[in-house]
Amino acid sequence: MIEFIDVEKQYPNGLTALKNINVKIEQGEYVAIIGLSGAGKSTFIRCINRMHGITEGSIYINGMDIRLLKGKGVRKLRRSIGMIFQSFNLVTRTTVLKNVLVSYVPDLPFWRKITGIFTKEQKINALTALDKVGILDKAYVRVDQLSGGQQQRVALARTLAQAPQIILADEPVASLDPVTANLVMEDFRKINKELNMTVVMNIHHVELALTYADRIIGIRSGEIVFDGNASDVNDEVLSLIYSGQEVEDTSANESTISEKNPVA
Amino acid sequence: MNLLSPKKIQLPNGKMVVEKRSVTPLIIIVLLLFTIVSINITEFKLEVIVKQINRLFVIIDEMIPPNVEYMPSLWQPLLDTIKMSLIGSVLGAICALPVAFFAASNITKNRLITTVVKFLLSLLRTLPTLVVALIATYVFGLGTMAGTIAIYLFTVSYVGKLLYEQIENANMDSYEAMQSLGLTSMYSFRYAIMPQVIPNYLSTTLFCFEGNVRYAAILGYVGAGGIGLMINESIGWRNYANLGMIILMLVVTVFIIETISEYCRKKLM
Repeated sequence: MIEFIDVEKQYPNGLTALKNINVKIEQGEYVAIIGLSGAGKSTFIRCINRMHGITEGSIYINGMDIRLLKGKGVRKLRRSIGMIFQSFNLVTRTTVLKNVLVSYVPDLPFWRKITGIFTKEQKINALTALDKVGILDKAYVRVDQLSGGQQQRVALARTLAQAPQIILADEPVASLDPVTANLVMEDFRKINKELNMTVVMNIHHVELALTYADRIIGIRSGEIVFDGNASDVNDEVLSLIYSGQEVEDTSANESTISEKNPVA
Repeated sequence: MNLLSPKKIQLPNGKMVVEKRSVTPLIIIVLLLFTIVSINITEFKLEVIVKQINRLFVIIDEMIPPNVEYMPSLWQPLLDTIKMSLIGSVLGAICALPVAFFAASNITKNRLITTVVKFLLSLLRTLPTLVVALIATYVFGLGTMAGTIAIYLFTVSYVGKLLYEQIENANMDSYEAMQSLGLTSMYSFRYAIMPQVIPNYLSTTLFCFEGNVRYAAILGYVGAGGIGLMINESIGWRNYANLGMIILMLVVTVFIIETISEYCRKKLM
Protein backbone atom coordinates (compact mmCIF):
# COMPACT_ATOMS: atom_id res chain seq x y z
CA MET A 1 0.00 0.00 0.00
CA ILE A 2 1.19 3.47 -0.90
CA GLU A 3 -0.01 6.37 1.24
CA PHE A 4 0.69 10.08 0.72
CA ILE A 5 -0.06 12.32 3.71
CA ASP A 6 -0.03 16.10 3.20
CA VAL A 7 2.86 15.77 0.80
CA GLU A 8 4.49 18.90 -0.55
CA LYS A 9 7.45 19.10 -2.87
CA GLN A 10 9.32 22.28 -3.57
CA TYR A 11 12.31 22.38 -5.91
CA PRO A 12 15.43 24.29 -4.81
CA ASN A 13 14.58 27.01 -7.35
CA GLY A 14 11.37 27.73 -5.44
CA LEU A 15 8.98 25.99 -7.81
CA THR A 16 6.27 24.08 -5.95
CA ALA A 17 5.74 20.84 -7.87
CA LEU A 18 3.32 19.13 -5.48
CA LYS A 19 1.08 20.41 -2.68
CA ASN A 20 -1.58 18.95 -0.35
CA ILE A 21 -1.27 15.48 -1.78
CA ASN A 22 -3.33 12.92 0.16
CA VAL A 23 -3.71 9.61 -1.63
CA LYS A 24 -3.99 5.96 -0.69
CA ILE A 25 -3.23 3.30 -3.26
CA GLU A 26 -3.95 -0.34 -2.33
CA GLN A 27 -1.81 -3.30 -3.38
CA GLY A 28 -2.81 -4.53 -6.85
CA GLU A 29 -4.45 -1.33 -8.08
CA TYR A 30 -3.87 -0.05 -11.59
CA VAL A 31 -3.70 3.75 -11.35
CA ALA A 32 -3.22 6.16 -14.23
CA ILE A 33 -2.16 9.72 -13.52
CA ILE A 34 -3.21 12.32 -16.05
CA GLY A 35 -2.60 16.02 -16.36
CA LEU A 36 -0.83 18.64 -18.42
CA SER A 37 2.91 18.55 -18.99
CA GLY A 38 4.60 20.15 -16.00
CA ALA A 39 1.61 19.55 -13.72
CA GLY A 40 3.74 17.39 -11.41
CA LYS A 41 2.97 13.87 -12.66
CA SER A 42 6.60 12.82 -13.00
CA THR A 43 7.47 14.33 -9.64
CA PHE A 44 4.58 12.44 -8.03
CA ILE A 45 5.81 9.12 -9.40
CA ARG A 46 9.46 9.75 -8.57
CA CYS A 47 8.61 10.59 -4.96
CA ILE A 48 7.35 7.03 -4.45
CA ASN A 49 10.78 5.45 -4.96
CA ARG A 50 12.72 8.41 -3.57
CA MET A 51 14.26 9.38 -6.91
CA HIS A 52 12.99 12.75 -5.67
CA GLY A 53 12.76 13.76 -2.03
CA ILE A 54 9.75 15.59 -0.60
CA THR A 55 9.87 18.79 1.43
CA GLU A 56 6.70 18.42 3.56
CA GLY A 57 4.46 15.57 4.77
CA SER A 58 5.23 11.89 4.58
CA ILE A 59 4.88 8.90 2.28
CA TYR A 60 4.23 5.43 3.70
CA ILE A 61 4.88 2.31 1.66
CA ASN A 62 3.58 -0.86 3.33
CA GLY A 63 3.53 1.06 6.59
CA MET A 64 7.11 2.33 6.33
CA ASP A 65 7.84 6.05 6.34
CA ILE A 66 10.18 6.33 3.36
CA ARG A 67 11.20 9.86 4.22
CA LEU A 68 13.25 8.47 7.11
CA LEU A 69 15.23 6.09 4.90
CA LYS A 70 18.89 6.67 4.18
CA GLY A 71 21.45 5.23 1.70
CA LYS A 72 21.04 1.50 2.13
CA GLY A 73 17.37 1.76 3.09
CA VAL A 74 16.59 3.79 -0.02
CA ARG A 75 18.29 1.20 -2.21
CA LYS A 76 16.35 -1.61 -0.49
CA LEU A 77 13.10 0.32 -1.10
CA ARG A 78 13.99 0.78 -4.76
CA ARG A 79 14.68 -2.97 -5.06
CA SER A 80 11.00 -3.57 -4.31
CA ILE A 81 9.72 -0.95 -6.74
CA GLY A 82 10.14 -1.33 -10.49
CA MET A 83 10.39 1.66 -12.78
CA ILE A 84 9.63 2.07 -16.48
CA PHE A 85 10.71 5.16 -18.42
CA GLN A 86 9.51 6.97 -21.51
CA SER A 87 12.86 6.56 -23.27
CA PHE A 88 13.31 2.97 -21.97
CA ASN A 89 16.67 3.82 -20.35
CA LEU A 90 18.42 0.66 -21.42
CA VAL A 91 22.13 0.18 -21.97
CA THR A 92 21.94 0.14 -25.75
CA ARG A 93 25.47 -1.09 -26.35
CA THR A 94 24.96 -4.48 -24.73
CA THR A 95 22.65 -7.43 -25.24
CA VAL A 96 19.04 -7.69 -24.15
CA LEU A 97 19.87 -10.44 -21.65
CA LYS A 98 22.59 -8.38 -19.95
CA ASN A 99 20.13 -5.53 -19.52
CA VAL A 100 17.70 -7.83 -17.74
CA LEU A 101 20.42 -9.47 -15.63
CA VAL A 102 21.31 -6.07 -14.14
CA SER A 103 18.32 -6.34 -11.85
CA TYR A 104 20.10 -9.16 -9.97
CA VAL A 105 23.25 -7.10 -9.34
CA PRO A 106 22.33 -5.87 -5.82
CA ASP A 107 22.18 -9.49 -4.56
CA LEU A 108 25.51 -10.56 -6.01
CA PRO A 109 28.72 -11.14 -4.06
CA PHE A 110 31.44 -8.56 -4.62
CA TRP A 111 33.51 -10.43 -7.20
CA ARG A 112 30.44 -11.14 -9.32
CA LYS A 113 29.39 -7.50 -9.15
CA ILE A 114 32.77 -6.42 -10.50
CA THR A 115 33.18 -9.10 -13.15
CA GLY A 116 29.54 -9.20 -14.20
CA ILE A 117 29.42 -13.01 -14.23
CA PHE A 118 25.93 -14.24 -13.31
CA THR A 119 24.75 -17.65 -12.10
CA LYS A 120 22.94 -20.09 -14.36
CA GLU A 121 19.81 -19.78 -12.24
CA GLN A 122 19.78 -16.00 -12.68
CA LYS A 123 20.17 -16.42 -16.43
CA ILE A 124 17.21 -18.80 -16.50
CA ASN A 125 15.12 -16.35 -14.47
CA ALA A 126 16.07 -13.47 -16.77
CA LEU A 127 15.21 -15.52 -19.85
CA THR A 128 11.88 -16.45 -18.26
CA ALA A 129 11.15 -12.75 -17.74
CA LEU A 130 11.94 -12.12 -21.42
CA ASP A 131 9.62 -14.98 -22.36
CA LYS A 132 6.79 -13.41 -20.34
CA VAL A 133 6.92 -10.27 -22.50
CA GLY A 134 7.34 -12.29 -25.69
CA ILE A 135 10.87 -11.40 -26.83
CA LEU A 136 12.79 -14.50 -25.80
CA ASP A 137 14.22 -14.82 -29.33
CA LYS A 138 15.94 -11.43 -28.97
CA ALA A 139 17.87 -12.37 -25.81
CA TYR A 140 21.32 -12.20 -27.40
CA VAL A 141 20.66 -9.26 -29.73
CA ARG A 142 22.14 -5.85 -28.98
CA VAL A 143 19.48 -3.45 -27.68
CA ASP A 144 20.18 -0.74 -30.29
CA GLN A 145 19.00 -3.14 -32.98
CA LEU A 146 15.49 -3.41 -31.51
CA SER A 147 12.42 -1.33 -32.27
CA GLY A 148 10.92 1.03 -29.68
CA GLY A 149 8.19 -1.42 -28.69
CA GLN A 150 10.68 -4.23 -28.27
CA GLN A 151 12.94 -1.99 -26.19
CA GLN A 152 10.07 -1.09 -23.87
CA ARG A 153 9.43 -4.81 -23.44
CA VAL A 154 13.07 -5.33 -22.49
CA ALA A 155 12.64 -2.62 -19.87
CA LEU A 156 9.48 -4.38 -18.69
CA ALA A 157 11.34 -7.70 -18.47
CA ARG A 158 14.11 -5.99 -16.47
CA THR A 159 11.49 -4.77 -14.04
CA LEU A 160 9.77 -8.17 -13.85
CA ALA A 161 13.09 -9.87 -13.10
CA GLN A 162 13.31 -7.59 -10.10
CA ALA A 163 10.01 -9.13 -8.82
CA PRO A 164 8.72 -5.82 -7.43
CA GLN A 165 5.45 -5.20 -5.59
CA ILE A 166 4.93 -1.86 -7.27
CA ILE A 167 5.67 -0.77 -10.85
CA LEU A 168 6.04 2.93 -11.57
CA ALA A 169 5.75 3.88 -15.21
CA ASP A 170 6.68 7.35 -16.42
CA GLU A 171 5.02 7.89 -19.82
CA PRO A 172 5.75 4.30 -20.86
CA VAL A 173 4.00 4.55 -24.24
CA ALA A 174 4.66 8.19 -25.19
CA SER A 175 7.39 7.30 -27.68
CA LEU A 176 5.56 4.33 -29.20
CA ASP A 177 3.14 4.13 -32.12
CA PRO A 178 -0.56 3.61 -31.22
CA VAL A 179 -0.66 -0.13 -32.00
CA THR A 180 2.49 -0.90 -30.05
CA ALA A 181 1.29 1.39 -27.27
CA ASN A 182 -1.83 -0.75 -26.90
CA LEU A 183 0.22 -3.94 -26.82
CA VAL A 184 2.49 -2.57 -24.11
CA MET A 185 -0.54 -1.35 -22.13
CA GLU A 186 -1.95 -4.87 -22.49
CA ASP A 187 1.31 -6.25 -21.02
CA PHE A 188 0.95 -3.91 -18.07
CA ARG A 189 -2.62 -5.06 -17.44
CA LYS A 190 -1.60 -8.71 -17.65
CA ILE A 191 1.18 -8.16 -15.11
CA ASN A 192 -1.17 -6.19 -12.89
CA LYS A 193 -3.86 -8.88 -12.87
CA GLU A 194 -1.75 -12.05 -12.89
CA LEU A 195 1.00 -11.04 -10.49
CA ASN A 196 -1.06 -8.59 -8.41
CA MET A 197 1.57 -5.87 -8.82
CA THR A 198 0.48 -2.31 -8.20
CA VAL A 199 0.88 -0.17 -11.32
CA VAL A 200 1.15 3.61 -11.05
CA MET A 201 1.46 5.19 -14.46
CA ASN A 202 1.79 8.67 -15.93
CA ILE A 203 0.13 8.90 -19.27
CA HIS A 204 -0.78 11.57 -21.82
CA HIS A 205 -3.18 9.45 -23.85
CA VAL A 206 -6.42 9.86 -21.91
CA GLU A 207 -8.19 7.23 -23.97
CA LEU A 208 -5.55 4.58 -23.26
CA ALA A 209 -5.69 5.50 -19.58
CA LEU A 210 -9.48 5.09 -19.47
CA THR A 211 -9.34 1.79 -21.36
CA TYR A 212 -6.73 0.05 -19.26
CA ALA A 213 -6.55 1.62 -15.82
CA ASP A 214 -9.01 1.02 -12.96
CA ARG A 215 -8.46 4.30 -11.23
CA ILE A 216 -7.64 7.77 -12.54
CA ILE A 217 -5.88 10.53 -10.62
CA GLY A 218 -5.93 13.95 -12.23
CA ILE A 219 -3.20 16.43 -11.28
CA ARG A 220 -3.37 20.13 -12.08
CA SER A 221 -0.47 22.44 -11.16
CA GLY A 222 0.72 20.20 -8.34
CA GLU A 223 -2.67 19.42 -6.79
CA ILE A 224 -4.96 16.43 -7.12
CA VAL A 225 -8.19 17.65 -8.71
CA PHE A 226 -9.75 14.29 -9.47
CA ASP A 227 -9.45 10.84 -7.94
CA GLY A 228 -11.89 8.13 -8.92
CA ASN A 229 -12.90 5.21 -11.11
CA ALA A 230 -12.02 5.29 -14.78
CA SER A 231 -15.69 4.86 -15.61
CA ASP A 232 -16.55 8.11 -13.76
CA VAL A 233 -14.34 10.24 -15.98
CA ASN A 234 -16.38 12.41 -18.35
CA ASP A 235 -15.76 15.59 -20.34
CA GLU A 236 -16.46 17.72 -17.30
CA VAL A 237 -13.77 15.93 -15.29
CA LEU A 238 -11.30 16.18 -18.15
CA SER A 239 -11.88 19.90 -18.53
CA LEU A 240 -11.29 20.26 -14.79
CA ILE A 241 -7.98 18.40 -15.02
CA TYR A 242 -6.83 20.13 -18.18
CA SER A 243 -7.97 23.60 -16.96
CA GLY A 244 -10.70 23.84 -19.56
CA GLN A 245 -8.77 25.28 -22.42
CA GLU A 246 -7.03 22.08 -23.36
CA VAL A 247 -10.04 19.80 -23.63
CA GLU A 248 -10.79 20.29 -27.31
CA ASP A 249 -7.17 19.79 -28.24
CA THR A 250 -6.93 16.65 -26.19
CA SER A 251 -10.07 15.09 -27.58
CA ALA A 252 -8.89 15.95 -31.09
CA ASN A 253 -5.66 14.13 -30.34
CA GLU A 254 -7.45 11.12 -28.96
CA SER A 255 -9.71 10.79 -31.99
CA THR A 256 -6.79 10.81 -34.40
CA ILE A 257 -5.13 8.13 -32.33
CA SER A 258 -8.17 5.89 -32.26
CA GLU A 259 -8.62 6.28 -36.01
CA LYS A 260 -5.12 5.02 -36.64
CA ASN A 261 -5.59 2.35 -34.04
CA PRO A 262 -8.11 -0.44 -34.59
CA VAL A 263 -7.37 -2.13 -31.26
CA ALA A 264 -8.62 0.71 -29.07
CA MET B 1 33.48 50.86 -32.91
CA ASN B 2 31.13 50.84 -35.82
CA LEU B 3 32.65 47.52 -36.82
CA LEU B 4 31.34 45.88 -33.64
CA SER B 5 27.88 47.38 -33.40
CA PRO B 6 25.09 45.15 -34.70
CA LYS B 7 23.85 45.70 -38.22
CA LYS B 8 20.17 46.55 -38.65
CA ILE B 9 18.22 45.23 -41.60
CA GLN B 10 14.83 46.67 -42.45
CA LEU B 11 12.29 44.43 -44.15
CA PRO B 12 9.99 45.89 -46.83
CA ASN B 13 7.10 45.72 -44.33
CA GLY B 14 8.97 47.95 -41.90
CA LYS B 15 10.09 45.25 -39.39
CA MET B 16 13.64 45.55 -38.06
CA VAL B 17 16.00 42.60 -37.70
CA VAL B 18 19.23 43.01 -35.77
CA GLU B 19 22.13 41.04 -37.22
CA LYS B 20 25.10 40.33 -35.00
CA ARG B 21 28.46 41.40 -36.41
CA SER B 22 30.94 38.62 -37.01
CA VAL B 23 34.01 38.84 -34.75
CA THR B 24 36.19 36.88 -37.20
CA PRO B 25 38.01 39.96 -38.66
CA LEU B 26 38.89 41.11 -35.16
CA ILE B 27 40.27 37.68 -34.23
CA ILE B 28 42.40 37.59 -37.38
CA ILE B 29 43.85 41.04 -36.58
CA VAL B 30 44.70 39.97 -33.02
CA LEU B 31 46.32 36.74 -34.23
CA LEU B 32 48.42 38.66 -36.77
CA LEU B 33 49.58 41.07 -34.07
CA PHE B 34 50.58 38.17 -31.82
CA THR B 35 52.50 36.53 -34.66
CA ILE B 36 54.48 39.70 -35.37
CA VAL B 37 55.31 40.14 -31.69
CA SER B 38 56.47 36.53 -31.38
CA ILE B 39 58.68 36.82 -34.45
CA ASN B 40 60.39 39.79 -32.82
CA ILE B 41 60.79 38.07 -29.45
CA THR B 42 62.15 34.80 -30.84
CA GLU B 43 64.43 36.60 -33.30
CA PHE B 44 63.23 34.35 -36.07
CA LYS B 45 65.12 35.08 -39.30
CA LEU B 46 64.33 33.50 -42.61
CA GLU B 47 67.84 34.06 -43.97
CA VAL B 48 69.35 31.93 -41.18
CA ILE B 49 67.22 29.02 -42.32
CA VAL B 50 68.26 29.50 -45.94
CA LYS B 51 71.97 29.87 -45.08
CA GLN B 52 72.23 27.04 -42.53
CA ILE B 53 69.92 24.45 -43.99
CA ASN B 54 72.74 22.72 -45.85
CA ARG B 55 74.28 21.69 -42.49
CA LEU B 56 71.24 19.53 -41.84
CA PHE B 57 71.91 17.69 -45.08
CA VAL B 58 75.53 17.17 -44.08
CA ILE B 59 74.38 15.38 -40.91
CA ILE B 60 71.76 13.35 -42.75
CA ASP B 61 74.39 12.44 -45.33
CA GLU B 62 76.62 11.10 -42.55
CA MET B 63 73.75 9.04 -41.17
CA ILE B 64 73.48 7.15 -44.45
CA PRO B 65 74.37 4.38 -44.54
CA PRO B 66 73.61 3.59 -40.90
CA ASN B 67 76.18 1.61 -38.95
CA VAL B 68 74.69 -1.91 -39.00
CA GLU B 69 77.41 -3.26 -36.68
CA TYR B 70 75.98 -1.08 -33.92
CA MET B 71 72.67 -3.00 -34.02
CA PRO B 72 73.43 -5.85 -31.55
CA SER B 73 74.14 -3.43 -28.72
CA LEU B 74 70.85 -1.62 -29.38
CA TRP B 75 68.40 -4.47 -28.77
CA GLN B 76 68.54 -4.25 -24.99
CA PRO B 77 67.90 -0.45 -24.73
CA LEU B 78 65.19 -0.71 -27.39
CA LEU B 79 63.49 -3.47 -25.43
CA ASP B 80 63.83 -1.36 -22.27
CA THR B 81 62.13 1.53 -24.03
CA ILE B 82 59.18 -0.63 -25.10
CA LYS B 83 58.92 -2.24 -21.65
CA MET B 84 58.93 1.18 -19.99
CA SER B 85 56.11 2.47 -22.14
CA LEU B 86 54.10 -0.75 -21.98
CA ILE B 87 54.16 -1.10 -18.19
CA GLY B 88 53.68 2.63 -17.70
CA SER B 89 50.74 2.73 -20.09
CA VAL B 90 48.97 -0.33 -18.67
CA LEU B 91 49.32 0.75 -15.03
CA GLY B 92 48.42 4.33 -15.92
CA ALA B 93 45.31 3.32 -17.83
CA ILE B 94 44.12 1.11 -14.95
CA CYS B 95 44.59 3.92 -12.44
CA ALA B 96 42.90 6.40 -14.80
CA LEU B 97 39.59 4.56 -14.39
CA PRO B 98 38.92 5.37 -10.71
CA VAL B 99 40.44 8.84 -11.21
CA ALA B 100 37.99 9.54 -14.03
CA PHE B 101 35.14 8.20 -11.88
CA PHE B 102 35.89 10.82 -9.22
CA ALA B 103 36.50 13.58 -11.76
CA ALA B 104 33.20 13.13 -13.64
CA SER B 105 30.71 15.62 -12.25
CA ASN B 106 27.68 13.62 -13.39
CA ILE B 107 28.70 10.55 -11.34
CA THR B 108 30.49 12.04 -8.34
CA LYS B 109 28.06 14.54 -6.89
CA ASN B 110 30.50 16.07 -4.43
CA ARG B 111 31.72 19.24 -6.14
CA LEU B 112 34.82 19.48 -3.95
CA ILE B 113 36.07 16.03 -5.00
CA THR B 114 35.52 16.56 -8.73
CA THR B 115 37.19 19.98 -8.63
CA VAL B 116 40.23 18.73 -6.74
CA VAL B 117 40.66 15.63 -8.95
CA LYS B 118 40.24 17.68 -12.12
CA PHE B 119 42.76 20.22 -10.86
CA LEU B 120 45.28 17.47 -10.05
CA LEU B 121 44.80 15.99 -13.51
CA SER B 122 45.48 19.28 -15.26
CA LEU B 123 48.43 19.94 -12.97
CA LEU B 124 49.85 16.57 -13.98
CA ARG B 125 49.32 17.36 -17.64
CA THR B 126 51.12 20.70 -17.47
CA LEU B 127 54.28 18.98 -16.20
CA PRO B 128 56.27 17.88 -19.26
CA THR B 129 57.08 14.16 -19.18
CA LEU B 130 60.76 14.98 -19.52
CA VAL B 131 60.65 17.06 -16.32
CA VAL B 132 58.77 14.33 -14.44
CA ALA B 133 61.37 11.81 -15.63
CA LEU B 134 64.16 14.09 -14.46
CA ILE B 135 62.59 14.40 -11.00
CA ALA B 136 62.00 10.64 -10.95
CA THR B 137 65.68 9.97 -11.61
CA TYR B 138 66.51 11.88 -8.42
CA VAL B 139 63.97 9.82 -6.45
CA PHE B 140 64.40 6.35 -7.96
CA GLY B 141 67.90 6.67 -9.37
CA LEU B 142 69.05 6.50 -12.99
CA GLY B 143 67.41 3.80 -15.10
CA THR B 144 64.17 2.51 -16.53
CA MET B 145 62.25 2.77 -13.24
CA ALA B 146 62.31 6.58 -13.48
CA GLY B 147 61.13 6.47 -17.09
CA THR B 148 58.31 4.07 -16.22
CA ILE B 149 57.08 6.38 -13.46
CA ALA B 150 57.13 9.37 -15.81
CA ILE B 151 55.14 7.53 -18.46
CA TYR B 152 52.73 6.16 -15.85
CA LEU B 153 51.92 9.65 -14.56
CA PHE B 154 51.49 11.04 -18.04
CA THR B 155 49.15 8.18 -18.98
CA VAL B 156 47.02 8.70 -15.86
CA SER B 157 46.58 12.38 -16.71
CA TYR B 158 45.98 11.86 -20.41
CA VAL B 159 43.65 8.84 -20.32
CA GLY B 160 42.00 10.15 -17.14
CA LYS B 161 41.16 13.48 -18.77
CA LEU B 162 39.73 11.96 -21.96
CA LEU B 163 37.87 9.29 -20.01
CA TYR B 164 36.13 11.65 -17.62
CA GLU B 165 35.01 13.76 -20.56
CA GLN B 166 33.60 10.62 -22.14
CA ILE B 167 31.81 9.77 -18.90
CA GLU B 168 30.34 13.24 -18.61
CA ASN B 169 28.99 12.96 -22.15
CA ALA B 170 27.59 9.46 -21.64
CA ASN B 171 23.87 8.85 -21.79
CA MET B 172 22.52 9.05 -18.23
CA ASP B 173 19.13 7.43 -18.93
CA SER B 174 20.31 3.91 -18.20
CA TYR B 175 22.19 5.21 -15.16
CA GLU B 176 18.89 6.55 -13.80
CA ALA B 177 17.31 3.16 -14.42
CA MET B 178 20.11 1.44 -12.47
CA GLN B 179 19.54 3.83 -9.59
CA SER B 180 15.84 3.04 -9.65
CA LEU B 181 16.77 -0.66 -9.40
CA GLY B 182 18.51 0.06 -6.09
CA LEU B 183 22.13 -0.04 -7.28
CA THR B 184 24.76 2.17 -5.66
CA SER B 185 26.41 4.91 -7.73
CA MET B 186 29.49 2.74 -8.20
CA TYR B 187 27.61 -0.24 -9.58
CA SER B 188 25.26 1.97 -11.63
CA PHE B 189 28.45 3.32 -13.17
CA ARG B 190 29.80 -0.19 -13.69
CA TYR B 191 26.66 -1.44 -15.45
CA ALA B 192 25.28 1.66 -17.21
CA ILE B 193 28.26 3.90 -18.04
CA MET B 194 31.14 1.42 -18.47
CA PRO B 195 29.57 -0.38 -21.45
CA GLN B 196 29.27 3.01 -23.14
CA VAL B 197 32.82 4.21 -22.55
CA ILE B 198 34.87 0.97 -22.65
CA PRO B 199 35.57 0.88 -26.42
CA ASN B 200 36.72 4.49 -26.37
CA TYR B 201 38.71 3.95 -23.20
CA LEU B 202 40.66 1.05 -24.73
CA SER B 203 41.19 3.01 -27.91
CA THR B 204 42.50 6.02 -25.99
CA THR B 205 44.82 3.77 -24.02
CA LEU B 206 46.27 2.24 -27.19
CA PHE B 207 46.71 5.68 -28.72
CA CYS B 208 48.45 6.85 -25.57
CA PHE B 209 50.71 3.78 -25.65
CA GLU B 210 51.73 4.63 -29.25
CA GLY B 211 52.72 8.11 -28.16
CA ASN B 212 54.45 6.78 -25.06
CA VAL B 213 56.85 4.63 -27.13
CA ARG B 214 57.99 7.83 -28.84
CA TYR B 215 58.24 9.69 -25.53
CA ALA B 216 60.14 6.82 -23.94
CA ALA B 217 62.73 7.07 -26.71
CA ILE B 218 63.86 10.51 -25.58
CA LEU B 219 63.55 9.91 -21.83
CA GLY B 220 67.06 8.46 -21.81
CA TYR B 221 68.23 12.02 -22.40
CA VAL B 222 67.71 12.78 -18.73
CA GLY B 223 69.05 9.40 -17.67
CA ALA B 224 65.73 7.67 -17.36
CA GLY B 225 66.87 4.61 -19.30
CA GLY B 226 66.07 3.20 -22.69
CA ILE B 227 67.31 4.03 -26.17
CA GLY B 228 67.46 7.78 -25.49
CA LEU B 229 70.67 7.11 -23.61
CA MET B 230 72.21 5.80 -26.83
CA ILE B 231 70.94 8.78 -28.83
CA ASN B 232 72.54 11.13 -26.34
CA GLU B 233 75.79 9.22 -26.51
CA SER B 234 75.94 9.09 -30.31
CA ILE B 235 75.26 12.80 -30.66
CA GLY B 236 77.85 13.53 -28.01
CA TRP B 237 80.50 11.59 -29.98
CA ARG B 238 79.29 13.12 -33.27
CA ASN B 239 78.83 9.52 -34.44
CA TYR B 240 76.03 10.12 -36.94
CA ALA B 241 76.26 6.67 -38.52
CA ASN B 242 75.36 5.13 -35.15
CA LEU B 243 72.63 7.74 -34.70
CA GLY B 244 71.26 6.79 -38.10
CA MET B 245 71.03 3.17 -36.98
CA ILE B 246 69.19 4.13 -33.79
CA ILE B 247 66.72 6.29 -35.64
CA LEU B 248 66.13 3.59 -38.24
CA MET B 249 65.35 0.99 -35.55
CA LEU B 250 63.14 3.42 -33.71
CA VAL B 251 61.18 4.33 -36.81
CA VAL B 252 60.62 0.67 -37.68
CA THR B 253 59.55 -0.19 -34.12
CA VAL B 254 57.19 2.76 -33.81
CA PHE B 255 55.74 1.98 -37.23
CA ILE B 256 55.05 -1.65 -36.29
CA ILE B 257 53.46 -0.69 -32.95
CA GLU B 258 51.35 2.01 -34.57
CA THR B 259 50.13 -0.34 -37.27
CA ILE B 260 49.08 -2.98 -34.75
CA SER B 261 47.44 -0.43 -32.45
CA GLU B 262 45.62 1.26 -35.34
CA TYR B 263 44.25 -2.10 -36.45
CA CYS B 264 43.04 -2.85 -32.90
CA ARG B 265 41.47 0.58 -32.52
CA LYS B 266 39.54 0.19 -35.76
CA LYS B 267 38.23 -3.14 -34.52
CA LEU B 268 37.10 -1.48 -31.28
CA MET B 269 35.03 1.24 -32.93
